[in-house]
Amino acid sequence: MARVNKSEEMTLIQDAMKVFQENIREWGMYIALLIIMIIFTITTKGVFLSSRNIGNLINQTGYIAVLAIGMTLVIIISHIDLSVGYLSGFLGAVAATAMEFWNLPVYVSIVLVVILGAMAGFLTGFLVGQMKIPAFVATLAGWLGYRGALQLVTMYRGTIVITNDVFNAIGNGHIPDIVDLDILPGVHGFTLILGMLVILFYIFSAIKQRNRMLYHNFKVSPMHFFILKLILMSALIGFIAWILSGYRGLSWTAVIVIVVVSLYHFIMTRTNLGRHIYAVGGNPEAAQLTGISVKKITYIVFCSMGILAALSGILYASRFKSATTTAGTLFELDAIAAAFVGGASPSGGIGKVTGSIVGAFVMMSLTSGMNLMGIDISYQYIVRALVLVAAVVFDVATRNRKKT
Amino acid sequence: MAEKVPVVEMRNIKKKFGGVEALKGVDLVLHHNEVLGLVGDNAAGKSTLMKILSGAYIPDEGEILIEGNRIHMASSQDAHKQGIEMVYQDLALANNLDVVANVFMGRESISLKLGPLGVMDEHHMEQETKRLLNRLKIDISSVRLKVESLSGGQRQAIAIARATAFNAKVTIMDEPTAALSVAAIGKVLDLVKELKAQGNSIILISHRTEDIYQVSDRMMVLRQGRKVCDTPVTGDIDTFREHVVAYIVGARDDFAEEGSKRSNGKGK
Repeated sequence: MARVNKSEEMTLIQDAMKVFQENIREWGMYIALLIIMIIFTITTKGVFLSSRNIGNLINQTGYIAVLAIGMTLVIIISHIDLSVGYLSGFLGAVAATAMEFWNLPVYVSIVLVVILGAMAGFLTGFLVGQMKIPAFVATLAGWLGYRGALQLVTMYRGTIVITNDVFNAIGNGHIPDIVDLDILPGVHGFTLILGMLVILFYIFSAIKQRNRMLYHNFKVSPMHFFILKLILMSALIGFIAWILSGYRGLSWTAVIVIVVVSLYHFIMTRTNLGRHIYAVGGNPEAAQLTGISVKKITYIVFCSMGILAALSGILYASRFKSATTTAGTLFELDAIAAAFVGGASPSGGIGKVTGSIVGAFVMMSLTSGMNLMGIDISYQYIVRALVLVAAVVFDVATRNRKKT
Repeated sequence: MAEKVPVVEMRNIKKKFGGVEALKGVDLVLHHNEVLGLVGDNAAGKSTLMKILSGAYIPDEGEILIEGNRIHMASSQDAHKQGIEMVYQDLALANNLDVVANVFMGRESISLKLGPLGVMDEHHMEQETKRLLNRLKIDISSVRLKVESLSGGQRQAIAIARATAFNAKVTIMDEPTAALSVAAIGKVLDLVKELKAQGNSIILISHRTEDIYQVSDRMMVLRQGRKVCDTPVTGDIDTFREHVVAYIVGARDDFAEEGSKRSNGKGK
């Protein structure tokens, strides 16, 4: 408590500077996203921030975001997975084949693909965890193998068109508007109300957490700064909900991403499994000596990666209502970039699920914004490369500064 | 009765690595609430012997008795079950985690079980960590600090605290003072004394004879895979040091008649 009182005497600006310096890595990411969005909003004369474009952006980010979450876990345990792009494309094609040629029901197809994803992840886990093959090599083999498999599946027709409406709704549909707001015609009322609920829940849990930390004599940010943060975050959530409700509302892709993020965030921060994953990333020998099975954790992380690759494949195939021979190309690199931009450390042990989502939005905002501006694809790659390098350099620089 | 039975007894332990005999039949006794200093030159077999006791290696021959019961240990988990904990020289801490997470690594308190997952009881773990550090008089400003931001001495203290956190009967410390500053060495030795005062039995491996002299009740010297000395720590530091060095380099050997003829004969 003493510490809080002392800091309350400081001015708001000093507080802000202090909090900013302490969390510079995390804030840097949000600020980067904000700057990117502002630049594109200006250069596209507001088109970037239109309801329609933001809705599209979220749906586009979805299939990279789920991969980035799995990749963050892989990077935390100091491995890498290069195979997930084509694995995702291959599994999307299997889903399409299952529905269109084997006439399997949509839910059976989805379950089948998720199981195949888990098996693929298990195989990688076996090569990396059991056979001790460097993940880079093992998953490079996967990259080649799944690319071949994707071409095999799509060999006869080139593109498999998916006609199932339920499946296609995953990547294109929106949640139904069950609340009709007469005062705001053309606005998705249910999305707006959900946004309000999220704000209330956020404020409630933030206050609860702050009180708990005060109770345990933890260092907390000063009161006025806390209130400022609450207002800013609430405004942000409200703004996103408002934008989304302007064009068809919350998409099913967004719902899926929110569920996956929440689940993984919970696992990584609150459960012993998450703690063990961080421990293995921080010091595998130490983890092994305290009774954590590094092998088991490796299997679990790669299986989760495989399942999320399946989910990514489903989202992508559904969004384009088809499976193509090039589906999944370079997804793995977008996911890896998203994880690094989102604060995962190349040396392992560090990374956040929530960060990887922000990273995915940074990478996809760049793509989307530059597409809107009509920038040539070759320059797009160079810009994305620079952003990735900047993120890692920033990461290394802030980390070294903290140590001295 | 329980006081008479040694907490650890190792009999005629032999271990070969390929053609090299690392241990040629070593006996070791550790009594209740005793600090045993284990000394020896590089490759004398100290670490091998302790890795056998902590379950990391399986001996080729010989037996291990814990409180009089013959035990077979095939893994460090088996050793944990027997209450034997080892603090490794290279600090088995995860730098990316905070003090609480490191102390409870691998045995997190669970407040709610969700199938194979367990929701961690952070509050309980934190209280327990604070209590543990207080009990051992370890001074750290916050148990939520990441281990990477702590000093070498503090990190060693955390590693030792973790080993003793779960009712260990025997704590083995492998060179706990290596690579520490003088002030930090003093703190670690105080911690060893504190642990003894609280009833722990400790085996301390060190090449610093001053450390052994300060905290040990008894010391044992290994040379080329054999025990050459097993004696209470007495007298002043200079004679003690001379004494120990004589055994380490092989000028003296109390157990020469049992061992190989290669050693330099019995000194007296």
